[in-house]
Amino acid sequence: MQFTISTLFQQIINGLSLGSVYALIAVGYSLVYSILLFSNFAHGGFLVVGGYACYYLLTQWGYGVVISMTGALLASGITAVLTEFSAYKPIRERTPITLYLLIASMGVNIIIENLFVVTVGGRVKALPQNTFPTGVFNLAGGVTMSASDIISLVTAVVFLGLLQLFLSKTRWGLAIRAAACDIRTAGLMGINVAFLISLVFFVAGILAAVGGIFLSVRYSLYPQLGSITTKAFIAAVIGGLGSLPGAVVGSLILGLAEMLTAGFISSQMRDLVVYSLLVIMLLIRPAGFFGKKINDKI
Amino acid sequence: MLELHNIDMFFGGIAALHDIKFRVDDGSLTGIIGPNGAGKTTIFNIITGVYTPTAGSVIFNGYDITNMKAYQINRLGIARTFQNLRLFARSSVLENVMTAAQNRYVNSYREEIFSGNMTQKISPNLSSWYSFVESCLHLGRWSRIEKTLKFSSMQLLERVGLHDRANQAAGTLPYGMQRRLEIARALALEPKLLLLDEPAAGMNPEEVFELNDLITGIHKDFNLTVLVIEHHMDLIMKICPRIICLNFGAKIAEGTSEEIHNNPEVLEAYLGG
Amino acid sequence: MKRNIILILIGLALALWPLGGYQEGIIILMCINCVAAMGVSILTGFTGIFTLGHAAYMALGAYTAAILTVRYGISVFPSILAGGFMAILVAWLIGLPTLKLTGDYYAIASLGLCEAIRLILENWQSFTRGSRGFPGIEPYTTRGFAVTIFIFLAIITFNFLESRLGRELKASRDDGVAASLMGFDTHKSKMKALVISAFYCGISGALLGGYMGFIQPSMFDMMKSTELTAVVVFGGLGSLSGTILGSAAITLIMEYFRDISQYRMLIYGLLLVIIMVFRPEGLLGSREIWDLKMGVKK
Repeated sequence: MQFTISTLFQQIINGLSLGSVYALIAVGYSLVYSILLFSNFAHGGFLVVGGYACYYLLTQWGYGVVISMTGALLASGITAVLTEFSAYKPIRERTPITLYLLIASMGVNIIIENLFVVTVGGRVKALPQNTFPTGVFNLAGGVTMSASDIISLVTAVVFLGLLQLFLSKTRWGLAIRAAACDIRTAGLMGINVAFLISLVFFVAGILAAVGGIFLSVRYSLYPQLGSITTKAFIAAVIGGLGSLPGAVVGSLILGLAEMLTAGFISSQMRDLVVYSLLVIMLLIRPAGFFGKKINDKI
Repeated sequence: MLELHNIDMFFGGIAALHDIKFRVDDGSLTGIIGPNGAGKTTIFNIITGVYTPTAGSVIFNGYDITNMKAYQINRLGIARTFQNLRLFARSSVLENVMTAAQNRYVNSYREEIFSGNMTQKISPNLSSWYSFVESCLHLGRWSRIEKTLKFSSMQLLERVGLHDRANQAAGTLPYGMQRRLEIARALALEPKLLLLDEPAAGMNPEEVFELNDLITGIHKDFNLTVLVIEHHMDLIMKICPRIICLNFGAKIAEGTSEEIHNNPEVLEAYLGG
Repeated sequence: MKRNIILILIGLALALWPLGGYQEGIIILMCINCVAAMGVSILTGFTGIFTLGHAAYMALGAYTAAILTVRYGISVFPSILAGGFMAILVAWLIGLPTLKLTGDYYAIASLGLCEAIRLILENWQSFTRGSRGFPGIEPYTTRGFAVTIFIFLAIITFNFLESRLGRELKASRDDGVAASLMGFDTHKSKMKALVISAFYCGISGALLGGYMGFIQPSMFDMMKSTELTAVVVFGGLGSLSGTILGSAAITLIMEYFRDISQYRMLIYGLLLVIIMVFRPEGLLGSREIWDLKMGVKK
């Protein structure tokens, strides 16, 4: 493939747009990790719920885009909270071993994915053409930017900005940050930890749904769409597990790396580059860019 | 035996310890007292290599162990128990002791470390142990060594009065017994210096009474140097000839139990604070 | 000793019982699955490290053995061993940075590894024939051979778990901090567990190749990895006999319910969550089967 400046810019734009979608997913995952210190593999399932909810609200019930999206966000958020209540909470109350949560979350992910397989079938679905504006903007030098790129970038920025505001300005945001430092102490200080954890799952679910909707616009919708979360997990590891800025930075790096590979090497190699990036990062800076050192209480 | 020189420890911007210095003599039984949050456990964490101090140094038998890893320091002959019990909960009581006892083989090597130079890598001496292949096939030295290990571990369990619980999972023992198992496990390492972190926490008066005997007993019989943390003054006053008192991360007094008992600053820390 | 004799008798029964070709195939498959599950059990059950990528080590074993026997005409046994050592090499590289960290770094890395290996196998057409698969493998995995290797590895595993190394692994599983203060280099302990478990999976993969006569990258996907972990959890974390029973039972059940295979993953997922919530210790807990009648409490 030929190297041109315009391809470079084109791929950077595409990369940022893809990276912003990863960021939405990775931040939700990191948020849960920072509080409960386990990898919630069901996060991919929440994303799929969001995608399908949006699809059915749009096509079967014929609601408008705004209502459908809101419904999708709620559906995902509620799924996340339900998961917390029915699976994670009983386990947490019984044991502090996070391995059990990890395994349960994997189970939930499999359940959600395969519920869609057996109910609506494994076939690929596409959100209706008119969901988002389809225009293409010509920037200088033949570089184009599609409307959906712009929308996904803007939405990601808005949602991440709102999250930042929520975490830094509100009482519950402060409580969440306190819990990320030390959840037991936060509980002792009078914070309602059970509510706080549900809140965190709800927020994570919402972010996953936004990511899910954009992914289904980009790649279409199928039950295994959640496996793309692997990349968001990797982004979170590259940024440093449990760090929100880390998740954003890692996601953008991943998105850029993927699109630049697709543009200049071959699009078959893009996933391989992602995994090599993970390995390289683990070798040179295993705790990621913003990884925090976890000190065991002794 | 053990010297702490001007130890400072900061967590973030908060000073947990400031300018701590003291010596522990060979064969002594020393108590560390102080109110909650005075930094007692932090001192143990620094000695055992869980934390590296922000400033200052820890000298053990003349060697600087400040920057060594926890497992290396342990191999030099420092063992400890934990304030909030850290047993291998899903292994049996006997296995807990055996797990520690199997690491005692470094003892013979330890002498070499102290006689030679510290720059050589601290690693276990494997020659007297069975190999992986022997353990896979249960052949060769396996049965003899496992038998000895089991025997000596059972003896230790008998010493702390847990021999009839040997096959129970450690996590299912009552609290007081778990504390005693921790002591047995630490002894199994045949340490030179034993650090006991609040061994009486959660025990009833009768159990504390037995614990007194146990601590003074093992101190004598195992030829140990012992350092005990407690915030109950009574226990320490009774068994420790020498006491160090901390408050707000600084050493406020050091001396015999009599001296400590009459020290106004100590009284203030406990009563006035 | 008694245990070894019983295992050998079971082996003889499995190997010599006169059966039809179909039942024989199930026994071979059972042995192959058990070998891989024992590997995962050592890592997840006895050392407490969660994996979502052990199918990758099976793939490495399978492809190494297949390529060595078919392309280079090397005899079967050294090729299988080479498969195991190939898995060891990759596991060592991945474990070195990730197992040093507290947190789910290895879990995420294993997820990435599994996908990366699959992608490499799919894209390295000239060497692996890509996603069409690698045919023409000599059918070296006979019933006797599979049973012999399974029983041999089972005896070895029971034995070494009951000695120095076993206690070391369990110590780092139950409390890593306490283990390091007992003089264990816990990073090394975890590395040992990972490397051994990868070896088992490599061998299992090599046997699978020799049974099927044909291997394909998609045989070693996330699904397979998930299945391996699920089986170990089902049998009981920290019980090798539980793992073997669980693996054998699930192989049989899945074979029996072949026709409703689309529900298979759904059942897996449900099982995982239910076990984690109601009986996190699995079928046998951390007991071995002969502890049951002795009433040993664990």
